[in-house]
Amino acid sequence: MSSASAPRHAFRLGADTLEIGIMALLLVASFSFFALMAPGFLSAVNVRSMAVQLPELGLLSLAMLVPIISGGLNLAVTFTANIAGLTTAWLVQNALGDAGVIGIVAGIGAGLGVGSAAGFLIGVIVARVGAHPILVSLGAMIFLQGLGEFLTRGGGISGMPAGFQWLGSGTLIGIPIPMLIFLMSAGGLAYFMQFTRTGFSIHMIGSNLRATEYSGIDVRRVLIVLYTLSGLLAAIAGMVMLARFNSVRVGHGESYLLITVLACFLAGANPFGGFGRVLPLVLGLMSLQVIASGMNLMGASQHLATAVWGAFLIVVMTLRMPFLKRS
Amino acid sequence: MKRNLYLAATVLAGIVGSAGMAQAQDKPTIAVVAKVGGIPWFNAMEQGIEEMGDELGVDAYMIGPTSADPALQVRAVEDLIARGVNVIGVVPNDREVLEPVLKKARDQGIIVLTHESPDSENIDYDFEMISAQQLGEEHAKLLADTTGCEGSYAVYVGGLNVPAHNAWADAAIEWLDQNCPDMKQAADRFGVAESVDDSRNTTLDLIRAHPDLAGIMSFGSQGTIGAARAVKERGLAGDIQVMGLFSPGQGRRLVHEGVITGGFQWSPLEAGKAFVALGDRLYEGGEITDGDDLPVLGKVRLDGHTLFASKPLELNEETVDELAELGL
Repeated sequence: MSSASAPRHAFRLGADTLEIGIMALLLVASFSFFALMAPGFLSAVNVRSMAVQLPELGLLSLAMLVPIISGGLNLAVTFTANIAGLTTAWLVQNALGDAGVIGIVAGIGAGLGVGSAAGFLIGVIVARVGAHPILVSLGAMIFLQGLGEFLTRGGGISGMPAGFQWLGSGTLIGIPIPMLIFLMSAGGLAYFMQFTRTGFSIHMIGSNLRATEYSGIDVRRVLIVLYTLSGLLAAIAGMVMLARFNSVRVGHGESYLLITVLACFLAGANPFGGFGRVLPLVLGLMSLQVIASGMNLMGASQHLATAVWGAFLIVVMTLRMPFLKRS
Repeated sequence: MKRNLYLAATVLAGIVGSAGMAQAQDKPTIAVVAKVGGIPWFNAMEQGIEEMGDELGVDAYMIGPTSADPALQVRAVEDLIARGVNVIGVVPNDREVLEPVLKKARDQGIIVLTHESPDSENIDYDFEMISAQQLGEEHAKLLADTTGCEGSYAVYVGGLNVPAHNAWADAAIEWLDQNCPDMKQAADRFGVAESVDDSRNTTLDLIRAHPDLAGIMSFGSQGTIGAARAVKERGLAGDIQVMGLFSPGQGRRLVHEGVITGGFQWSPLEAGKAFVALGDRLYEGGEITDGDDLPVLGKVRLDGHTLFASKPLELNEETVDELAELGL
């Protein structure tokens, strides 16, 4: 962590407003570009389709953001989501099959519990052993992948009750349920990170671990809380994927892992920790979705769309650097 | 670029009119979602899709996700629904994951086709270039022809619980039992065909243990190559017939050396053409019934909603180079 002298200005309103401004501008720019270039981009069907697609990647990115702010990383987010989904699917289908809505609620509760437990475990190891989170979560990622594949023998579970599928395909006042879940999670996380003592402590840990320790904050407790939170958010993503795909298997959404890191850095999270906000991340995710859907509508190759995501990150970084250096 | 312009024009008209579906009524837009883009198999399929698209004058293209993660196929289909295409074709990575989004597509009146996925539910039709039965039997016939139904033979599969491989092997063995009663399997089938080394070693053992070994059939990507190497090492090319599935690029030299007798698979190029031809035909209206003679697929057998064509692609000295050029 080389951020001992990291600038403090990011905590002030000015820098935050700037960051949100940049991301909003980019969103508007990419949106207008594809509205002009991509046929059918502004149609209600496409807007709804983007709103349905965003949440799974979005929730996983939120799960990635929290550790990144603390100067760590949670590489286990996608497999945590799978394990949580598998837990819920198995419980709803086997043990709670006849319990109807209560069964679904209990199944979701258990899935979220398992996801949180996976995060808790990573947190405990990071806090107690003091190993770098990349190593710990990489270990956890491979462990969860292997465990899941062992338990399911590489197969999947599918065929959830209709009530569960509603979570993936239903709408409430015109907004797709997955989007609502995402917005609520993002709102909750933004509040937690900005306005609670623990949230502030997470920023401090990422900024300067030693100083945080000396200021009397229980760093271990904060680390455990933040990885548990990350696990919980990943589990919510797992629920959304389960509801949307009506099935779950180890490896679903595997390709999102590095994209979540991309999204966090795109939104101005500092790779060395300390800085990162939820709102710019939400805006950045929207830009990524706009680019992906827009390019699909134009009939561009998926590989090209991936390249554009990468290029987008580099451009944003370049644009941002002068502002960071000036202060 | 030209395609984009064309699209921009047609769909812009669509927006002005009644958004989405109501594009140019006469010609459909057909999009096929591959398992993963950028690999030779699906590059060949893309070529087939575009060739047939040009031939029929329809807008047909392939979307190749950047990895085999099923979630990416779902996203691709979501975008295609938003784009308002008329026909969506999919070669599923994971059938179950796609069911909800394919249902959504069908609910919007989009024709949905799959390939290599007979169990898919929310589709109009699935098509197979060749049935498991026929693929096995073609190999069995080749073995019978080249050995004169004499001696013993061995069968390799990718694994003893790989459904497709074992279905092919079952069909081949059954055909031989009925038509070549004198030929016997030297041993139960071996699950070695995904590894060149394992199949080479197994073949060397078999040659030692069974002097009457006359042929080897391999249903798995590497078994034919491994068996051929063993046969070549022992100088038995021509005495032991090696046949089965193999990648043309990998096996072309062994074929020319006469070590690999031949084999059958199906052509991704033809499958690509079939997607477009079938989509166009269904868009024009009309059901498909058992025994219909369709473009590209030829005479088909309809089983449930699966169309079985009879289009084996023979790999032999004449065809292997051309297929290897395709990158297969």
